[in-house]
Amino acid sequence: MKWRFLCAVIAVLLGMCAPGALPRAEAAISLEKCTLCHGKPEFRKILVDGKIRELFVTADSLKGSVHAKKTCVDCHFDIGEIPHRERPRRIACTHCHYKGNAEGAPQSDGYLAYIDSVHGKAIARGNVKAPLCQDCHGSHAILKAKNEESAVSQKKVAETCGHCHIEIYAQYKTSIHGVAVAKGIREAPSCTGCHGEHKIYGHLDPKSTVYATHVAEQCSTCHGSISIMGKFGIETEQVETYKESFHGVASQFGSRTVANCASCHGTHDIRPQDDPLSSVNPKNVPETCGKCHPGANPNFAVGKMHIDAKKKEAGVVYYVASFFKYLTICTMLALIVHILLDMYGRTKRLRGEK
Amino acid sequence: MSVDEKKGPSRETIDREIEAAVSSETTGIDPEQADEIREKIRRRVRAEIEREIRIRTAAERREEERKVREERRREKHHEEGEMFQRFNRNFRFQHMVMFSSVIILIVTGMPIKFPNFILSRFFVNLWGGINNSTIVHRIGAGMLIYFMVHHLLYTILSRDGRRDFILLIPMPKDIRDAVQNIRYFLGKTADKPRFGRFSYIEKFDYWAVYWGCIIMIGSGAFLWGESIVLKYFPKFVLDIAHEMHSDEALLATLAIVIWHFYNVHFNPDRFPGTLMWWHGEISEHEIKEEHPLEYEEIMAKRAKQTEAGGSG
Repeated sequence: MKWRFLCAVIAVLLGMCAPGALPRAEAAISLEKCTLCHGKPEFRKILVDGKIRELFVTADSLKGSVHAKKTCVDCHFDIGEIPHRERPRRIACTHCHYKGNAEGAPQSDGYLAYIDSVHGKAIARGNVKAPLCQDCHGSHAILKAKNEESAVSQKKVAETCGHCHIEIYAQYKTSIHGVAVAKGIREAPSCTGCHGEHKIYGHLDPKSTVYATHVAEQCSTCHGSISIMGKFGIETEQVETYKESFHGVASQFGSRTVANCASCHGTHDIRPQDDPLSSVNPKNVPETCGKCHPGANPNFAVGKMHIDAKKKEAGVVYYVASFFKYLTICTMLALIVHILLDMYGRTKRLRGEK
Repeated sequence: MSVDEKKGPSRETIDREIEAAVSSETTGIDPEQADEIREKIRRRVRAEIEREIRIRTAAERREEERKVREERRREKHHEEGEMFQRFNRNFRFQHMVMFSSVIILIVTGMPIKFPNFILSRFFVNLWGGINNSTIVHRIGAGMLIYFMVHHLLYTILSRDGRRDFILLIPMPKDIRDAVQNIRYFLGKTADKPRFGRFSYIEKFDYWAVYWGCIIMIGSGAFLWGESIVLKYFPKFVLDIAHEMHSDEALLATLAIVIWHFYNVHFNPDRFPGTLMWWHGEISEHEIKEEHPLEYEEIMAKRAKQTEAGGSG
């Protein structure tokens, strides 16, 4: 009896171990099997349009990546036989990366944001050119975003986006932000710095961080911060002065036609003012202002644009503002005192009469 | 004035018709009584026709209506005494144009000065967003400009306008009045200052509006044509215009809401406000209280007239 019970316990324990142990053994085998063909350096396919698809994969392909411990069929799980007859389907990362998964994959809801984003919606509409996770994060050599070598690292993400958005990448690369990122300045924004990571929307979508009325807020996350701008000797008062100007106020009230930061400074091609290619270079100001103010001429460039009437640097404007400040204070004080005296007199007379 | 003469049958035909109607209606009654009734009706109808004939122009008719109204009012509130015309129709119309335009301008302008104020968004969205709100602001501006032009022409061309303008010029008496008024408030003197047609308070209001209109219309015109201004002036000119417009707007709003509203609405004598801006009339009681010098002047003028009328 005792022996029988022991055997049963062992059998149950073995049974519990088996599901964990078996796939690992299988996977090891399948990796070998995959590299039988894919391990040959000249293993490639010529597509209908003449492009060449490299199909060369070795056991080292995943080495060093976050998926170093995974094997081919962990992701290409639709491969049931070797050699496979059909082209494997595109990888669905959400197979593991969902909240509450048991695989131990990083639990992020980035994919939910992605589904709603402009890229996710394009995929849902059937646009085969729209990017899936692996198009940005890489397929085999996936690294953490913090790793500088990662395709989605601050330094490299622009290049990654540029695979499809090539013209914008060219503009960005020579802009002040692109140059700064290339220099290795961590604070400078790459594509994701302004557009967001997973929740990227078209700039005409009100949810977008670069929607007309959100641009100022988005730029001010860095340009309004003294701790960031102080490092580079850039002033932060532009943010405040813009918000107080008519442009800024109208933008806060939801006007999409009024000028925001990008309307004058450009979007991807932002350059310092002294750069002759800059849209706010005095030479280009007439054209830039002329987008909204018909007939803008070189006189538009005369004088400082961002002006703070509360500071002495504003010159005449400051003195006008102070004049009105004291005029208002004095007049209103005199009037209010007159009213209070009137009330006082009335009260006194009323009491006297009673 | 337009003449709207009553065009109808002549006096004789009316008389004949009355006679016919009266005799046909009173055939069955005792002849003596009938005569009496006829006489009564005749008198009444004739008086009515006389009145109709007398009132030939619209102005005359209005005057007549005013008299009738006045009689009715005097029966009701005899303690107020006679009503004097203080503001003529033209002046009241100007005031109405001005206050409606100023309300529009404040409601659409202040949210731009204070975008973070809790009601600002409501007032902007009231018109359907900032783009519409700026259009409404320009409509208000147009009304204010119209008012200013109208008032300047009124000051130059109208006899009442010229008289009022001269009476509104600040005089040394106003300073004396102000000092005395404050002494009166403090109880140092028992006599209220005796004001003429316009007290120093009203003069201040008038010149505050003058100053405000000049600043607001001047700077507002620059802001309205910003594309043209920037073509010929450096940007700081526009910045000054913006600063002036925004600061003077606040001053004007405060002055209206605190000072003017106190004087004409919240002041215990007036609360919750009089209808003087609508009918333009001031009661004898009030004119004696507030503008005794003007009252004396009117009375003196009247005495002279009756004297002249009596002698002539």
